[in-house]
Amino acid sequence: MHLNNYLNNKFLSLSLLAIFSSLIALGAYAAWDVQPKLGYNLTPLPRPIPAPGFTLEDMDEENHSLKDFHGKVVLLNFWATWCPPCRREMPSMERLYQKLNGENFTVIAINQMEDGDHVFAYTGQLEVDPTFTILFDKDSKVSNSYRVSGLPTTYLIDKQGNIRYRAIGGREFDHPEVEKQIMQLMQE
Amino acid sequence: MPDNRRLLQYATMNNRRINYLSLAAFALVLAMFGNITNAANITAQKNEDSGLYSWVAESEGFSIELIQLLPDFIRAIYMSHGFPGTEVDEIAGYCVFGTIIKNTSQQQLDYDVANWYFTDKHGNNHPVKTKTQWLEQWRKAGVTFSWTLLPDKGTFYQGDWQQGFTTIKLPRDSEFSLTYKWSINNIEHTDTFEGLRCAPEQLSEQ
Repeated sequence: MHLNNYLNNKFLSLSLLAIFSSLIALGAYAAWDVQPKLGYNLTPLPRPIPAPGFTLEDMDEENHSLKDFHGKVVLLNFWATWCPPCRREMPSMERLYQKLNGENFTVIAINQMEDGDHVFAYTGQLEVDPTFTILFDKDSKVSNSYRVSGLPTTYLIDKQGNIRYRAIGGREFDHPEVEKQIMQLMQE
Repeated sequence: MPDNRRLLQYATMNNRRINYLSLAAFALVLAMFGNITNAANITAQKNEDSGLYSWVAESEGFSIELIQLLPDFIRAIYMSHGFPGTEVDEIAGYCVFGTIIKNTSQQQLDYDVANWYFTDKHGNNHPVKTKTQWLEQWRKAGVTFSWTLLPDKGTFYQGDWQQGFTTIKLPRDSEFSLTYKWSINNIEHTDTFEGLRCAPEQLSEQ
């Protein structure tokens, strides 16, 4: 029974891989993967909104809560590996994190409904492996609490735990204008 | 009889006056709160690698791009997310487009896919099946995955954009137009994307 399941799963995985490979070879995926140039505008919220709390596991199945980051400015990003603009903006998040990471700033990327193995395989292909925190929202409850309707969506949370800026769609997060907004929050 | 003629003349003049006044008032209301029909700047492009077409319509403050997707690609996407075969077949039976929408204005933009419709080659209008409708159907089939489709509604600020699938219930290779609406500062805009075509079942050997 187990062997049958294993073989069925393996057959399904190989079939999917074959379909994906053929599609990629045909360029069908590439057509969808062509994306507009990424901008850098983050929209300030008319008034700060308390960021909903959460506790989620990371790749090593260790729990992290938003409250652990209280006192830091947090760039909170909702993403998935199959989402083309999420993949495009990720290197800029890493560059931003490398530049500003420290006492007052961090980046948290909350993956939607994928597992650690899948994300690990994806990040392994990247030129620079992300070093910021990646958490797993396996049932999308956290993204629902943030009213995320599409990926990627990003929030900038101040040191007091309030959402101050929002961006729907991919961005170049290491753009000087974004850095300036983050620095201002860090200095508050 | 002359009295009657004068009465008729008076009534006609009054009607005209009322008509002019109505028109002026209507134009004013339209300008203030109404619907503005735009003329989009449409460009079509063929992807030389895939042979698939994409179209971009640039309207006032709003840009929409539709990209043909092959049914096998849609099947692979939903199979990989563990969808039941019936649901995979159903969505792959639709004409699915990768869709990118952008706020190109400096102001708040709102859209609601429930107000969009497509027109088939016979001139019949049909509503676009929304993400909410798909999610309701998937929930009944035990599917919890809620991403990939273009969100029904959105409020975009400067620089915001979104992408996802749009589903059109038409056979492969069908021609159609899509009428879409959006609002900028509560003024509704409407535009029609002409000359769209569903992807074929598969690409022909070249």
